[in-house]
Amino acid sequence: MNSPDSTTVDVTPADVAAWLVERIAEYREAPAAEIDTTVPLAELGLDSVYVLSLCGDVEDKWGLVVEPTVAWDHPTIDALAVHLHGEIAS
Amino acid sequence: MNGDALEELLGDPYDGSNPTGHAAIVAADDAGEPCAAGEAVLDAWQANAEYVPAELGGRLTAVDELVRRLRPVFRRDAGLGLGHGLTTLMASLNVWAAGTAEQRKHLAGRLLAGERVSVAYHELEHGNDLTRNALRAERRGNGFVLDGTKRVINNAGRARAAVVFARTADPAAAPGGRDHSLLFVDDLDRVPGLTRLPRLRTSGLAGCLLAGFGFDGAVVGEDALVGAVGTGAETALRSFQVSRCVTAGVGTSLLEGALFGVYRFATERVLYGRPVTAIPHARSVLAGAFIDLQVAQALARVAARALHLYPSVAGRYAAAAKYLAPKITENALADLAVVLGARGYLREGEYAFVGKHLRDIAGLSIGHAGGVSCQLTVLPDLPGVRPTGAEGALFDDSPLPELDLGELRVRAGRADPLLGALEGVADDELRAELASVRADAAALPVTERGVTASHRSLALTERYAWLLAASACLNSPRAADPQWTDAVLERIGLRSGRTTERTSTAALDAAYQDMADRAATGRSFDLDPEPVLRALA
Repeated sequence: MNSPDSTTVDVTPADVAAWLVERIAEYREAPAAEIDTTVPLAELGLDSVYVLSLCGDVEDKWGLVVEPTVAWDHPTIDALAVHLHGEIAS
Repeated sequence: MNGDALEELLGDPYDGSNPTGHAAIVAADDAGEPCAAGEAVLDAWQANAEYVPAELGGRLTAVDELVRRLRPVFRRDAGLGLGHGLTTLMASLNVWAAGTAEQRKHLAGRLLAGERVSVAYHELEHGNDLTRNALRAERRGNGFVLDGTKRVINNAGRARAAVVFARTADPAAAPGGRDHSLLFVDDLDRVPGLTRLPRLRTSGLAGCLLAGFGFDGAVVGEDALVGAVGTGAETALRSFQVSRCVTAGVGTSLLEGALFGVYRFATERVLYGRPVTAIPHARSVLAGAFIDLQVAQALARVAARALHLYPSVAGRYAAAAKYLAPKITENALADLAVVLGARGYLREGEYAFVGKHLRDIAGLSIGHAGGVSCQLTVLPDLPGVRPTGAEGALFDDSPLPELDLGELRVRAGRADPLLGALEGVADDELRAELASVRADAAALPVTERGVTASHRSLALTERYAWLLAASACLNSPRAADPQWTDAVLERIGLRSGRTTERTSTAALDAAYQDMADRAATGRSFDLDPEPVLRALA
């Protein structure tokens, strides 16, 4: 229903994870290499309001209207990427 | 009792012998006690039935209608409205949203029997930051063991039951949105290990019986759990959307009641050889407050109707309305106090209630969800927000589809029907402001979209809320009157700090005349006037 700013064909979970890492690195003002994709988002210093903002980025980028509950239920970057990838593909 | 008779039951507020009139209410407030006669009236009116969905035997159908029906009490005493039971609604919404059929039926029975339910979210250390709530509920056997403290809880000293927000996750684990659960704890006096804590006094809403609960190994059954373990935050964030709309809406009635009082004062008070109403400054303050009231009500009403019509974005409107409507109300009340002059400071006399309303609105603004927490709900949504089409039903009085709490979303999407509706009716200035808010929001760096945002970035949420208010007004049926529209547009420009006062006073004069006519004929100053039992001196 939206117009995502990139094609969603042939996107892999790793692409989604890499994109999430970029977003979070920008917010944390840290190098992407320092962002651990296997730990809970809270351990990366992300608060509940940032998660709302990240959901907005997901909507703008992938055209998915998502809620923070998605990040609560898939609380690491890797888990979130797999979940979002499933949504993007369907 | 059918619920239409509340204005009659409460009677003429200016009758000094009326046990629910201004004099009695101010006396109770000064004593720091609830107005007993007022509580008796609300019991007789079965106020609790307003909080129970019709399908469960109550009178709750539409949220804007609920606000309308509560107006008579909030015109007179916000402490009475909130203290008697609005917090019972705030608690119950969680059970209506996520409870089992059995829990819903049980709670409905309690409410219809006149019982109060406290809503126990608040912990002094964590304010509105729900995710840090520390009260612990540990699963043990067939239930939970609770340890911790809730403070500043309305009716904690006398409620039969409470809905408690508790941490069910391991406190040592990394925090997340699934850390908390809601528990509906009935028969509080029979819960071992639960104590009711002493009352806390407040400067506003002085008659509210705020207290607390102490849990020391308190045991509750498995059947207390509302929804699944870990869904507490999600359910609470949905329920908040409804209670924010209700609070924003009923708060405007403080301005309605005070405006009549100050106008009444101004008609009888003679200064410099003329009534105060003949002094241009006083007239413009009164007319301005009248317009403010309509703007705040239009915004609150649209937010309430959006819960039914656009549940997926209603949370953003609820937060914006809960931020801006009480602010408009409070500013207008402060202006009105100036017209009262020295009487604005007196704790006695016919108009002492105006000062009380001014103290109470501050409490209503902070209570439940403070301004900044509402702004932080809106801010992350704004970059990329996108005007879309809207139904006319958002703005009128037509019957609404049933409220489905399950359809409310924890985060609103980018689509924005209210901004879409604004595009169609805005003048050039408003159109430019809309473009500017969208551009400024899109340019916000990521660190300015959340808790670390500066006041400048947060101000965008206020500009956004004013745009919603403008849309609500310009699309309302009242906008058929060009002078009303003119007055509203000028007022919104002025109050939002965007424009300066116009030289022509024609629109404001027309608003003043409308207000004076209503005051003389027993009709309220609301966006949709209703009969009121009060008269000019």
